[in-house]
Amino acid sequence: MAVFKINVNGQAHSVEAEPDMPILWVLRDLIGLTGTKYGCGIGECGACSVLIDGQDARGCQTPISDVGNKKITTIEGLSKDGSHPLQKAWIEHDVPQCGYCQAGHIMSAAALLHKTPNPTDAQIDEALGSHICRCGTYVRMREAIKVAARGGK
Amino acid sequence: MSLLKDLRIGGLEESGRDTAKGLSRRSFLGLVGGVGASFALGSFTTAACASPNGHPHGEAAANGKDAPFAPNAFLKIDPDGTCTVTVSKSDMGQGIRTTFAMLVAEELDADWSKVRVTQAPGDSATYGGEGTGGSSSTRSMHGKLRAIGASARAMLIAAAAKKWGVDPAACKTDAGKVIGPSGQTLTYGQLTTLAQAIPVPTGVQQKDKSQFKIIGTPRSRLDNHDYATGKAMYAQDVHVEGAVHAVCLRAPAFRGSIAKVDDSAARKIPGVIDVIPLGDKIAVIATNTWSALKGRDALNATWNNPTEDVSTATLHDALVKAVGDHLEMPAGAKVIEATFDLPYLAHATMEPLNAVADVREDRAEIWIGAQGPDSVQQDAAGATGLPIEKVVVHNMLLGGGFGRKGGGDFGGEAVDLSKRLKKPVKLLWTRQCDMQHDDYRPMSHHSLKAAVDAEGNPVGWSHQLMQAPGGRGRGFGGARVNIEIPNAGMKEGGVDTPVPTGAWRSVENTQINVVNECFVDELAHAAGKDPFEFRRDHMKDERLKKVLETAAEKASWGTPLPAGSGRGIACFNNYGSRIAHVVQVTVKGNDVKIDHCVAVVDVGTAVNPRGVEAQVQGAFMDGVATALKAGITIEKGGAVQSNWDTYPWARMADAPAKMEVYVMDSGADFGGMGELGYPSSVPAIANAIFAATGKRVRKFPAKIEELV
Repeated sequence: MAVFKINVNGQAHSVEAEPDMPILWVLRDLIGLTGTKYGCGIGECGACSVLIDGQDARGCQTPISDVGNKKITTIEGLSKDGSHPLQKAWIEHDVPQCGYCQAGHIMSAAALLHKTPNPTDAQIDEALGSHICRCGTYVRMREAIKVAARGGK
Repeated sequence: MSLLKDLRIGGLEESGRDTAKGLSRRSFLGLVGGVGASFALGSFTTAACASPNGHPHGEAAANGKDAPFAPNAFLKIDPDGTCTVTVSKSDMGQGIRTTFAMLVAEELDADWSKVRVTQAPGDSATYGGEGTGGSSSTRSMHGKLRAIGASARAMLIAAAAKKWGVDPAACKTDAGKVIGPSGQTLTYGQLTTLAQAIPVPTGVQQKDKSQFKIIGTPRSRLDNHDYATGKAMYAQDVHVEGAVHAVCLRAPAFRGSIAKVDDSAARKIPGVIDVIPLGDKIAVIATNTWSALKGRDALNATWNNPTEDVSTATLHDALVKAVGDHLEMPAGAKVIEATFDLPYLAHATMEPLNAVADVREDRAEIWIGAQGPDSVQQDAAGATGLPIEKVVVHNMLLGGGFGRKGGGDFGGEAVDLSKRLKKPVKLLWTRQCDMQHDDYRPMSHHSLKAAVDAEGNPVGWSHQLMQAPGGRGRGFGGARVNIEIPNAGMKEGGVDTPVPTGAWRSVENTQINVVNECFVDELAHAAGKDPFEFRRDHMKDERLKKVLETAAEKASWGTPLPAGSGRGIACFNNYGSRIAHVVQVTVKGNDVKIDHCVAVVDVGTAVNPRGVEAQVQGAFMDGVATALKAGITIEKGGAVQSNWDTYPWARMADAPAKMEVYVMDSGADFGGMGELGYPSSVPAIANAIFAATGKRVRKFPAKIEELV
């Protein structure tokens, strides 16, 4: 066990963990942020996606020892009140069905919009291509991302 | 329509600890009642009404404050006007929480912006059967829920009329207000205390469909904000003080058992607390999930495997052998024959199976996302020896269900571990456990024979559905084909197998309708007819014909397409609803691209057309995944596939650029939806592949390179 100081959603946390503990479990079990989900444990579904210094990252594939001073953003920290353009579009366009994968999709979409403010369908498909939504909400997700990119219109 | 009787009983309600935070919940005075003849009336005063999010359903009328109006266990109106509907069926993504709220709110004339939902605990004594499946929730509950709304509205009117000293018949309601004869208004929130004192009326008139303001209008899901902000609570998200984490290593083969286990390395993993051999599995208990997972990986186990000779190949051979004689086809008719093969399918819910249990000597508390929370309560009472009212089951949101999450196995496992450890336990099935120890949609082999006469009319149909597992020796029954065919029958049978199977979204229709709609297409081709016209011309069911015709029209059926592209059509009739799909694909090399999907659906009266659209869109992606990608195969008595890398599901790029869903209102009664969208998706895709390539898909998932 070692003590790690990490920054999550702008807050400093000190956690005692094995260095190989993926941040998925650090967030869920040690810090109590449960919006980030376990879906596969092998980086194949994207349910655990978070931002690390604004980059799309898989929580289940990122050991805490790799994080260092980088800033982690989870769904809980994307906005204070659900007001991020993607969250608003998600709500407005009724994207979620079971909801379990949605945080991961939203976080990767946030990383996409940061780099590519007006993505095409192909760019969306590529950026979110390593995610799975088992309810099949893809068509509405694509639309919501484009609406968010247009500033909610 | 069931009439409400005066069932209100006051009672002190005590439930155990609150949900997520482990706080001790206040006792509260609640007026709760049962509704309708199907609810047992003796025990509802002990109903545990805690919701997954910790909102109690009723609160004390204390300190002179207004009390909530809670005419029964399903509805509460607070003095601030908030209307809370307690939902007795599980939401696994189908949006039933919003649907049920709409049904109550319609008859209540509620202000929709003030409508909230809370989830009923596992408790069939209070809420009636809570099993969620078979697209039955709306069909089984709309009458009761509308009656609850109508009755509460009548009580609110009576309360206002009494206060005003006017005739209740001269009052009306709108958006959470009672409006008196001279235009005076009182909000429902202002009437709660008075309404609570009004006897529950009987025989309250419900609205005519023409008066609906909420039912039939597209409404956003009430849970959207929670889903989009990470606040939605699934079982594994609850924090229970002192809980340990458990994962299991399971026998690689079905019906396997532990031969030998060396847990010395596992016990050395920091955080691992215990290793418990449990017959067919080994549980690793740890202070956190990661330590449990590492401990599991460090186990050195060998297993007894009594089913080593079971494989997809051996099962397929056995199923082919099980096919018997077909029905006779009429003499002189043109006869076609084909066989189809469908694999086992895993449910692979996005949220792997999990449950949290806290079994104490005098009570038990369980957090689970289950399609049968009432059975979970009953099972836990049996397993712990506790009286049923001492078992509180918090039914959380389900991260997908599709038929897998009755709750018996994973709920029972968590209860068993907590009972053994005398601690709260958070049990998580890994994705591998979830996929390799599923109750699969059965593998099946289909042999079909059908015939058309010289004019191209269908004159015979014989379908033998052999599945593993499947019953033996049954004769021919109804063919369940969507067109009228004389001399048609289907015989079901199969072989025994240790492979566990269960309901998978749309159950047997995933086999019967998929294969029938593929083979009807072949029969149309044999008749020299257009597959849409052939179906339409031989279809008796007017509702089905209407959705079929509309789908063809909306998809511009018959207009030319580029080489390599094709359109396929298919339909389905069940659950009181009808659906038709037209799918357009382009086949390039071995890749199939879904260009366009049109679906037309008639669920009778759609409660929430926006939700219906979502279900059709989602079920179509199940169709894409299982038509083209995913299947479970068996080797050495166990499932080969273990995660999304080997069980490839549909991803964003597999979704068509255009998916048009048309919700038709046929005026028929409320029909089912959750299961409706799948069984015509797969054959529409397969038939489109034929239109594009001239080759028939007869084995799923389809591999273009193998088509002949």
